[in-house]
Amino acid sequence: MTTNDATTTAGAAAPAGRTRGKVPGEGSFWLSEWAFPLFVAALAAGIFAGTHLYYVYRTGTFSDVAVTAMLKGGMDSGSYGAAAAFGAGFLFARIIEGPMVGILDIGGSLQTGVGIGIPAMLLAAGITAPLEHFWLALPTGALLGALIGALILAIRRATVNSAGGTSTFGADVMMGAGNSAGRYLGPLVIIAAATASLPVGLGSTLGAALFYWWKKPLTGGAILGAMLFGLFFPIAGT
Amino acid sequence: MNETLTIALESMVIGALIGFGASAGVARMFHAPKVQGMGAFRTLGELNACENDPVAHFSFGLGFFFNAWASAVGTGALTSDVDHRIVPHWAAALSMTKNRNLDETLHNPRRMAAYGACVGLVLVTVLNTTAASIPHSLQKVAADVLGPASEWLINPVMPIVFWMAAVDAGRRSGGWATVLGGLAHVVMGNAVPGIVLGIVVGKGIDDLGWTRVTKSLAGAVMTLFVVSAFLRGVDIQLLQQMKADVPHWLTGLHDATGTTPTK
Repeated sequence: MTTNDATTTAGAAAPAGRTRGKVPGEGSFWLSEWAFPLFVAALAAGIFAGTHLYYVYRTGTFSDVAVTAMLKGGMDSGSYGAAAAFGAGFLFARIIEGPMVGILDIGGSLQTGVGIGIPAMLLAAGITAPLEHFWLALPTGALLGALIGALILAIRRATVNSAGGTSTFGADVMMGAGNSAGRYLGPLVIIAAATASLPVGLGSTLGAALFYWWKKPLTGGAILGAMLFGLFFPIAGT
Repeated sequence: MNETLTIALESMVIGALIGFGASAGVARMFHAPKVQGMGAFRTLGELNACENDPVAHFSFGLGFFFNAWASAVGTGALTSDVDHRIVPHWAAALSMTKNRNLDETLHNPRRMAAYGACVGLVLVTVLNTTAASIPHSLQKVAADVLGPASEWLINPVMPIVFWMAAVDAGRRSGGWATVLGGLAHVVMGNAVPGIVLGIVVGKGIDDLGWTRVTKSLAGAVMTLFVVSAFLRGVDIQLLQQMKADVPHWLTGLHDATGTTPTK
């Protein structure tokens, strides 16, 4: 991989001969304002192409299971309303919030917005090409990311000097709810596993308990335990 | 085999892009609000909690890696932790192995972007190829277990969690979320988008009052609901279930736009 070599050498060359008290990279391209849309574009291109992978091969979205399931529900039933509105609402709130606090939350804006919401809107409108072709997915995502980045810089310029009158539009409330919704998945997996078959349910319980004991999120343990027992005791049926 | 190779090659490109963007954004977070960064506040806290110890960064990322791996194998979703936690932490761990100066490692976007691209390239490829090449029997287990679990999560668990959060956030956002949430389940089949929009509108009015911004926001939300209702043919279904006559011009309009309800 040529890109790999290039980036490694660039990273290894540490900036030398700095005066004391000056942050490396300060005033350089890497910390400049107009570099921001470029970084957002790179990340958005990857996320959108990840959704393309999921659309074609059923693996690769950069969202959590619950959010991805919304998109999958749309792919199975043809009604993308839930995924589109959920993603777009999140994207809007984060674009408003990002410039105010100086940190754009990539979970709501890019992973949910660009990765789920915008693809769902495209699919609802019958536009499938950007999600079917990898080389079309990359520029589509990059363009979306660059637009979002530029928009945030524009809002930043307009609001960063005006005192007061700012609102995050409840982004903190949504973030809290989103995080706690994720916590519910672990117990739900164990219940679903025990419903599917008894050995798989036992394995799932065991895995979750072990992961909890090791102070890790128990969802992963519940899934892995269920898979492991399912390997030895296959679920009956066709 | 050909499919696995395609997935691997595409994952390499995707992973490198993700790692590059996310890690540069995370490094810029440490210079906020002077510089616009991207990531998340929780990422900032977790990175600081590791107290520039590469081993701590690595093991923190590892815990989430297992979670992401299980999720990818089971459902094809790599979880949001890949961009949020695993890539930044592992990029930080790599950049700190020889140099413990935070200014030159974790807070330096150039160095983080370089390491992040390498981490992302390997990580995303591993996650996607292992997920794509698991045996059929395991895929069945995953589908039978995670299918129902994620369905329950979408409906009714997530709506309830968001609903309660909206109600706890204040009377205004609770009121808006309750009305829009109920309407959203009627119109879109899931209450969550309505509740999210209700929080956005309610909190906006709380913070700003009825300004031009919040008025146009509420107007946009109303329009969204009307348009979604029409596109899904909810108006016809509603009239039918109320045992009322559907006017001919409305049926004609739906036929012309191809938006007749399927049920």
